[in-house]
Amino acid sequence: MNTGGKEDDEMNEILTQEKSIYLQISEMIENDILRDIILEEERVPSTNELAKLYTINPATAAKGVNILVENGTLYKKRGIGMFVSGGAKEAIKKRRKEEFYDNYVRTLIEEAKGLGISKEELLTMIKEA
Amino acid sequence: MNESKLVCTNLVKAYGSKEVLHSINLELERGKIYGFIGRNGAGKTTLLSVASGQNPATSGNITVDGMPVWENQDARDLICFSRELSPMNGNGANTTKVKDYLKAAATYMPNFDKAYADELVNAFGLDTKKRISKLSKGMMSMVTIIVALASKAEFTFLDEPVAGLDIVAREKFYKILLDEFAATGRTFVISTHIIEEAADVFEEVIIIDQGNILLTKNTNDLIESVVHISGKEEEIDSLIADRTVYNTEKIGRSKGATIALKDGEEELDTKGYDVSVQPMNLQQIFVAMCGREA
Repeated sequence: MNTGGKEDDEMNEILTQEKSIYLQISEMIENDILRDIILEEERVPSTNELAKLYTINPATAAKGVNILVENGTLYKKRGIGMFVSGGAKEAIKKRRKEEFYDNYVRTLIEEAKGLGISKEELLTMIKEA
Repeated sequence: MNESKLVCTNLVKAYGSKEVLHSINLELERGKIYGFIGRNGAGKTTLLSVASGQNPATSGNITVDGMPVWENQDARDLICFSRELSPMNGNGANTTKVKDYLKAAATYMPNFDKAYADELVNAFGLDTKKRISKLSKGMMSMVTIIVALASKAEFTFLDEPVAGLDIVAREKFYKILLDEFAATGRTFVISTHIIEEAADVFEEVIIIDQGNILLTKNTNDLIESVVHISGKEEEIDSLIADRTVYNTEKIGRSKGATIALKDGEEELDTKGYDVSVQPMNLQQIFVAMCGREA
């Protein structure tokens, strides 16, 4: 996914239709923090910058950014913009680990059940993966 | 100015005995980009022309900032409906040059921004020495867009602005629009048949069908409140029994349905059922709502 290299290639994921746009905006900012594309205490793109980059309504971009403000990933410096909080990277990792069970493990088990794959078979697959 | 609103109340428009707009109630708030979607002949262009005071209503009221719009210059100055250009006019071919057309627009629009219009001419690479009758469909769209944006009107209506544009020019238009919106917070109403690529630009969406407004809703909220479910017919029938159903389709034992979630319901509870629940995009929702065979 990440072609890397350039200084300015932050936010290079593209939007899909699978998920609400504002959720994708907040996830993309999180991904960039996890990959050190945006560092802690650095400014993230403004709502209007995001709106223009992705050709989306600024209200939608703001909704995505606000999720990250509410959970403490970003903080606002009045008149300057939004910045990545100290410790944000670790906090995102921790949260995603917690969500890993719901987002991945549960659907994996549901699909396996539907296909009649036994627990033992599934465990073998995971070990060999 | 932030309180200004454009309000249509019980607006009816009839041509002779044929009523094309049935008691429309619509409120446009300042500082939003509205997407206006409907099938051909649904009444989009008629509503835009009546709401902008270019065409009289048969009955009902249209006000902006509380002022009636019809034959009221102060109110009309707040609204711009830049209509599609035609290569023909009353006298045959429309031989007006683009630059003269823009000059004329500048004289009858009180807030017309000439410098911004020039900037847009350059951005689109338009040759203003050309006569309107000699323009391609895409170039005509550009002229309409330039007049609309440079009008600087509080309420700006664009009727199919991207219809003649290629994908690159469409993307450019939406980016220019977002720039102008970010700078001014003007209200835009944009009709389009190319729904999906514009869906994320629209904060609100207005759906019109056969002269009735079906809904006016925040685009995200609408998309999150409609899902498609499919599975065995009996299971689907039991799941959708007490719900708003927009559309169903059947093949063999399988059935699909487009349904609305209830207020406050975040996702469909399908415990005990073996069905697939899928999100829908704006275009799919629109087809489910308005796509029935006539």
